[in-house]
Amino acid sequence: MSYPLELKDVVKRFGGLTATNHMSFNVENGESLGLIGPNGAGKTTIFSLIMGEHRQTAGEILCNGEDISALPTYARIGRGVCRTYQIPRPFAEMDVLENIRLGLMPNSIWQMLTRNPDRYKEIELALSVGFSENDLNRHPAELSMGDLRKLELARTLATDPSIMLLDEVFAGLTAGEIAQIADLINKKREAGMTLIIVSHDLRSLEPLIDRAIAMNHGSIVAEGSFAKVMADPDVRASYLGGE
Amino acid sequence: MGIRWQHIALWIAFIVVMLALPEFVSKGTLRTIIFANFLAIFAISWDVLSGRTGYISFGHPFLIGIGAYTSAILSYRFGFPVAASIPLAVVATMIGGTLFFLPALRIRGSYFALVTLAFMELMYQLVQVIRPDLTGGTRGMSGIETITRGAVNNYYLSFSLMVIIALAMWLVMKTRLGTALSAIGMNEESVRGSGLDTTKLKLAAFMIAAFIAGLGGAFYVHYLGSIAPRALFDINFLFTIIVAALIGGASTIIGPMIGAFFLTFLLEYLRPVLPGAERYFIYGGIALILYMYQPKGIYEVAKQGWGRLRAVRAGAGP
Amino acid sequence: MSQIIIQGLLLSGLYALIAVGFTLIFSIGRVLNLAYGAYLMIGGYVYYHFTQVLGLPQIAGILMAAIFGCVIGILKYRLIVKTLKGDHVAVEISTLILAVVIQAGIVLVFNDSSKILHPIVPGVWRIGGATVTFNILTAALASWAILIGLYLFVRNTHIGRAMQAVSMDVKGAAISGVDPDRINLITWGISGALGAVAGVFFASYTQLSPSMWVAPLIIAVAVVIVGGIGSIIGSLIVAHIIGFMEIISTTLIAAELRGVFTMLLIIGVLVMRPRGLFGREEL
Repeated sequence: MSYPLELKDVVKRFGGLTATNHMSFNVENGESLGLIGPNGAGKTTIFSLIMGEHRQTAGEILCNGEDISALPTYARIGRGVCRTYQIPRPFAEMDVLENIRLGLMPNSIWQMLTRNPDRYKEIELALSVGFSENDLNRHPAELSMGDLRKLELARTLATDPSIMLLDEVFAGLTAGEIAQIADLINKKREAGMTLIIVSHDLRSLEPLIDRAIAMNHGSIVAEGSFAKVMADPDVRASYLGGE
Repeated sequence: MGIRWQHIALWIAFIVVMLALPEFVSKGTLRTIIFANFLAIFAISWDVLSGRTGYISFGHPFLIGIGAYTSAILSYRFGFPVAASIPLAVVATMIGGTLFFLPALRIRGSYFALVTLAFMELMYQLVQVIRPDLTGGTRGMSGIETITRGAVNNYYLSFSLMVIIALAMWLVMKTRLGTALSAIGMNEESVRGSGLDTTKLKLAAFMIAAFIAGLGGAFYVHYLGSIAPRALFDINFLFTIIVAALIGGASTIIGPMIGAFFLTFLLEYLRPVLPGAERYFIYGGIALILYMYQPKGIYEVAKQGWGRLRAVRAGAGP
Repeated sequence: MSQIIIQGLLLSGLYALIAVGFTLIFSIGRVLNLAYGAYLMIGGYVYYHFTQVLGLPQIAGILMAAIFGCVIGILKYRLIVKTLKGDHVAVEISTLILAVVIQAGIVLVFNDSSKILHPIVPGVWRIGGATVTFNILTAALASWAILIGLYLFVRNTHIGRAMQAVSMDVKGAAISGVDPDRINLITWGISGALGAVAGVFFASYTQLSPSMWVAPLIIAVAVVIVGGIGSIIGSLIVAHIIGFMEIISTTLIAAELRGVFTMLLIIGVLVMRPRGLFGREEL
């Protein structure tokens, strides 16, 4: 049986530093997986490897049974995988709708030239992540951190993904914004989206995931239900900074 | 991104004024404008590549040079008609553009700028040494066939070429391709993260830029009737192209045109005051200050000024 | 053969000196100073003015060149780099424009005909079949002395260590009490002075002309980029590769082709190994 996403014995070294050390795990269809661990544990590196922003030193990454290790980022997105970033990366000189337009674009120069952007769809996406109509022509410099996260979610959702990798979606947000984003994630979950979520905000993360994986030093420390993982002595030690 | 009637009205007004111009100004001024037209073409080409995608090219004369030399050699040495040599020159430039593009696959920012600078210097040195019987070596070539004679005819020719290129680019850049190219300049990773093949997009930008540079270069050499390596592969020439695009307003079409005309006339009006090469001193100084204090260029200044004026009027109205 | 080896060694020493001021700025601010070649030009012309027009002793000329270079480096940091707040593309374009302005300024003051410098130390030395001018020998020895001096300065003085700290991590350095702004200012000053002194030697090796800044800029760029940023050994090796390639192509192939291999090296290495021959992948 094939999983929407599966990592087999993946290794990534940067010079002498091993950021990912023989990691193997998978997610099931419609599952929400939490990836936790202290700073520098290698969570973000996993995301970069899945998206093809970095290439693994060894091992395989499979998407629905197909080895995507050699594919460029856009082709992986074409297969329904996408991610958000810890620090949102909007297009600074474009407004909210134009930012979303990028996500909606077909990967074909001919179609870019000949078809007009689908304004209706852009607005629908913007509203679906919680923007109000007044926000649509705002530029990133005028948006709050919460709005920037929403913008990034909207642009990523525009690529029509089936698996989303969310990196520190709650960082720098107010309590109200966290609730909004959590609500949005829950909706996607109910709609059957497969999710992998990285967060330091464990309290907000807990209700959003079915299963957790704790990592440290590029390896899996514990795996299972959130409660089980958090009860693991090694996980506690890693968070307290013990070796 | 709709095309509004004001846009069309402005384009038409601009074209009408420029077409009527030879009736009102001297031949000398016309020659100045001819140069400005060509400079605008080169600046638009630079802007498509560098202004939009942020891959700063310090080697644009390399592309222009391929166009100019190919057409010159074909027509002067092998007797090709201009109607055949120019299209061939454009094709050759686009092949050259691919060479330019290869480093852009892996490097960006400062490194890319340096590789392109190296390309330009390489071309400068090679043209003088390799097959001087074809290129004319250090002295270049003169007596190359011209397309038409006289300031007025050349004015119409260069102006039409510029307007056709500008209009075509304006239409292309209004589409989502233009948006995507500008997005690469703002954040290439996010463009990739939006599921787009940035390599393909960059290749498109490079090919368009090379096409325009080759076309402009070939027409330019058949206007001048002569070509020499030092005049073409020269930092001052490169500088004029880049500054025209930047001062006018990068990432727009009208910007590089404004910049080209502004610089050409600035240089022309400084001529009586400072006859020698010294006027580059003042001219460069003005360019530097303008660029440092308004990196978005004259177009942006005008737009803001216009916006303020409208706001004042709206405030004063009922 | 011995001619090639000796000439190559001497020229490479000069090239290492040309590159070192450029490397300093690049490793500290990650900024490409495209007006770096203009320091060399200013150094050469200042030296020319003080020794050959005003008739001052050579050492005074070199000193004046260093002072001018230093002041211009500091001014450039204050007026351009700081104003643009580290926007790399803007700094590069502004420094390119500045280089053209300086070139025009030189034409304004000295006119645009090229000038020959008298050798700093006249005389020729013959060993075996090779002839070596004392001039290039002095240049090479001075380069090595300056390079070693700079190395000791960066290693052993407080300011030198602060420079290293800033080049590794600006924020970290600031937290440990180093004022990055002051260190940047000092570095730009040193870089200007080094460039100007290198310019005196470079000009005495070639000649003075208002367009002389392009060639050394490309050499500096090649040495730094091809060697890998922050790799001193890499820079030295590449300075020697370029120096020897030039001498070999001049003596064995054709003098006009001397720069061609440098360009090919830059293009080739940047395309194949974007981080340089001796650089490493960064996180």
